[in-house]
Amino acid sequence: MSRRALLLAILVALPLFAAVPRDAAAPILLPVAKDQTVSFRLWFKVGSQNDPAGKEGLAALTAAMLTEAATQKRRYDEILDQLFPLASTYGASSSVEMTVISGRTHVDNLADFYPLLRDALLTPAFNQADLDRLRSRTLNFIENQLRFASDEELGKAVLANEIFAGTRYGHLGAGTVTALKSITVDEVKAFYTAHYTRDNVVIGLGGGYSPALLDQLRADLAKLPAGAPAPVPAPSPPALSGLSVTLVEKPTASTAISIGFPLGVVRGAREWYALAIANSWLGEHRNSSGRLYQVIREQRGLNYGDYTYIEAYPNGGARMTPPQNVARRSQLFELWIRPVPHEARHFALRAALREVDHLVKHGMTAEQFEERRQFLKKYVLHYAATTGERLGYAIDDAFYGLSEPHLVQFRRLMDELTLAEVNAALKKHWQLGNLKIVAVTQGAAAFADALVADAASPITYASPKPAAVVAADQEISTFPLRIRRAAVKIVPVAELFAQ
Amino acid sequence: MRPLFLTLAAVLVTAATTSAAPPPRVFPYPYEKHTLPNGLTAIFVPMQSPGVVAYYSVVRTGSRDEVEEGKSGFAHFFEHMMFRGTPKYPQAAYEGIVTKIGANTNAYTTDDHTAYHLKIAAEDLPKVIEIEADRFQNLAFSKIVFQTEAGAVYGEYRKSISSPFALLNERLQDLAYDAHTYKHTTIGFERDIMVMAGQFDYSLSFFKRFYRPENVVLVVAGDVEPKTTLAHIEHHYGSWARGYVAPAITPEPPQQAERTAEVTYPGKTLPILTVAYKGDAFDPANRDYVAALLLGELAFGETSELRKRLLLREQRVQMLAASIPQNRDQPLFSIYAMIKKPEDIAAIRDEIYKTIEQFKETPVDATRLRDLKRRNKYSFLMGLDTPDAVAAGLARFISLTGDIAVIDRLYAAADAVTAEDLMRAAKKYFVPERRNVIVLKGGQS
Repeated sequence: MSRRALLLAILVALPLFAAVPRDAAAPILLPVAKDQTVSFRLWFKVGSQNDPAGKEGLAALTAAMLTEAATQKRRYDEILDQLFPLASTYGASSSVEMTVISGRTHVDNLADFYPLLRDALLTPAFNQADLDRLRSRTLNFIENQLRFASDEELGKAVLANEIFAGTRYGHLGAGTVTALKSITVDEVKAFYTAHYTRDNVVIGLGGGYSPALLDQLRADLAKLPAGAPAPVPAPSPPALSGLSVTLVEKPTASTAISIGFPLGVVRGAREWYALAIANSWLGEHRNSSGRLYQVIREQRGLNYGDYTYIEAYPNGGARMTPPQNVARRSQLFELWIRPVPHEARHFALRAALREVDHLVKHGMTAEQFEERRQFLKKYVLHYAATTGERLGYAIDDAFYGLSEPHLVQFRRLMDELTLAEVNAALKKHWQLGNLKIVAVTQGAAAFADALVADAASPITYASPKPAAVVAADQEISTFPLRIRRAAVKIVPVAELFAQ
Repeated sequence: MRPLFLTLAAVLVTAATTSAAPPPRVFPYPYEKHTLPNGLTAIFVPMQSPGVVAYYSVVRTGSRDEVEEGKSGFAHFFEHMMFRGTPKYPQAAYEGIVTKIGANTNAYTTDDHTAYHLKIAAEDLPKVIEIEADRFQNLAFSKIVFQTEAGAVYGEYRKSISSPFALLNERLQDLAYDAHTYKHTTIGFERDIMVMAGQFDYSLSFFKRFYRPENVVLVVAGDVEPKTTLAHIEHHYGSWARGYVAPAITPEPPQQAERTAEVTYPGKTLPILTVAYKGDAFDPANRDYVAALLLGELAFGETSELRKRLLLREQRVQMLAASIPQNRDQPLFSIYAMIKKPEDIAAIRDEIYKTIEQFKETPVDATRLRDLKRRNKYSFLMGLDTPDAVAAGLARFISLTGDIAVIDRLYAAADAVTAEDLMRAAKKYFVPERRNVIVLKGGQS
């Protein structure tokens, strides 16, 4: 058996990706015989899109009130005491359309762990003191951490809000300051009762669990009330007209830039995988081989990295591979320029957009296409290393209704897609005419003036650069953006996410 | 590069892996260790993994080794230069190979070590051994490339320093140390980063001094066959010449009195109080040190009485945690509190001192201690679930001792910790003359 054949045989032999059940409500199971741990992922079909108007943040706060608060049997500090010797925790991840309650424990500790997880789901206490604590933490996150401690994450959050403005996606999952302050215990209870129902949950279970545990879990979740909330229509993000710019004014040492537009294709579509090849070439996340990274960081040393995405990728600064369980029906293209010196902000923006423009106009070359599909075919093996991550992917497969698991399909299509398909998908879905640009910066008014004037933005370096770079700089520094004055707004940081 | 505060979480996890567990073995996988005649060590950890291998090159050099004035941050900067190619595989050729094989590759620098890591398909291991051996022996980069990368490193500093914790740790280390290189963070002083582009000649000597086989340990975990892998390693690394020159690191003189400082963060944040005591270097034979590793969790961890009261019941703090690091030299044993009201800072500080005094005088509850030992055992086992997690987890122990046999000794020592040991450790380390106190406040708060 060749080494390659052996690798594939191993992949087939191990339950690397769970089979997708036909019944959308059927459990998603990933048994791993020798695994000494059990992984739970309980998927509730609720997220920030379900936040009532004026109560933004309610979905995330409700999830936290289940997993980081008291139950009717135990105070929260008692729960922590019981979890402590088990080295196990459970937690909630709430995104736009999904909330997943996850937990992991060693099989030795399952009998002690499971009742705690069960009680958190079935009999939460919903105490005022817990709500006050978790609300205070969320307000600190918005008012201090997000607004001040990471300009990159701030820029990305503003971009997502702007692209989906006016839709159920168009607010921060954590909420707004005004809405958070208004949320009551009764509203949390009502939200829980409406959305945490037995008809709105899918069991995900993986690792070394027994059939009896699955039976127990099913029986326990059946105790949740019946009924499912009315479906939320998929959002229709407003059409962008030309390049519109939001400049967030704040005292900061450098400028963080995010660029994007709505993308009408999601995983499972053949075109999505075609775009994934082009996206990987242009800006594979945290990878030095991407074109933008090469142009902005490697050749010019302007920042720490530059990446692109065809799916929402929350918390990208803190992770190396894609997140699971942030699936959604409407996606966005996103380009992330890590902080650059203020004097290089205009240049870096132009350099990035010029690369996108070139790619869309000319497409990938045969050589680039060949390199990328080979890269991705193996690289995606690293996306789901643990049982919990594989379970997460299987849940996302169910969300997207995939009959063939996403990562299996991903690898298969790397052999099947053609260069012509990639370039056709690029022309169909990517464009440079209608974009949203967000920059977190200091001296926003001067930047706005320069953008509107399409003023030349020559760049100087502290050290010499090769002749080819210098020549390209001439073109970059005058690359036309054609931004209208009316399409530029300046927002003080303190006003963000206020209401 | 792991920015320092991000390492608080990591350090807490690491600290949580340091105790409990019965003999004979805590580390659950069989492994093989081989040392080549030139001093290069290779450790193989075969484990079930779906055709995947983690390949780590651990260089026992970090920001601790930056002894020359004006060179802070250089180990981290040099980590970036290691991706710049060789005569045989210039940068584009190296990147072409790792791209073709779909490797997930990166590197990080800490205070005590630098690690280069690749997650790869098992079938690509021979090629990876060849290109890694090549760059560790034959690295070559131009002055222009070197100078350009200095800009990227400054960009990394700028994106990190917007966090109040990054600023706080930078000032804390500067305050607490006079002579030792722990005075600067791993990314270095901004003033040194700004002039890195002028240090080309120094970078060449840095490579010659530190990137030598006696100072490097390879860890190969996952779907690996030791015998043939060792043969590949011998073939490609065997001619690497010895030549490691250990830096003369000035020991930190004993601190004589408490030091305090205030820091203003330019943005908005809740105040952060840090109380940091000079501890001891990693040493499983030092009962006081091992007891201190447990003490941080017992006194200030998630289930500590103080955190339950201040965070859950009274809701006066947003965060309370302790960090008891594992380092080659004397680190800071730190307690961090994010406080909701600025006027409450002094009272919270006194609550921390009061708690410490209680731990000096009152034996810890036997159940609490037993629970912590059990927790640490399971935390360690559950964390070793992928080849990458195993190799990354071993890297810190390798940086400390050059080996992983120490894991069993550390766990045995932690398992033996008694209530009396904890009181003695509290009395030894958590005293005013070892103390450094910093309060960070937001300029816009």
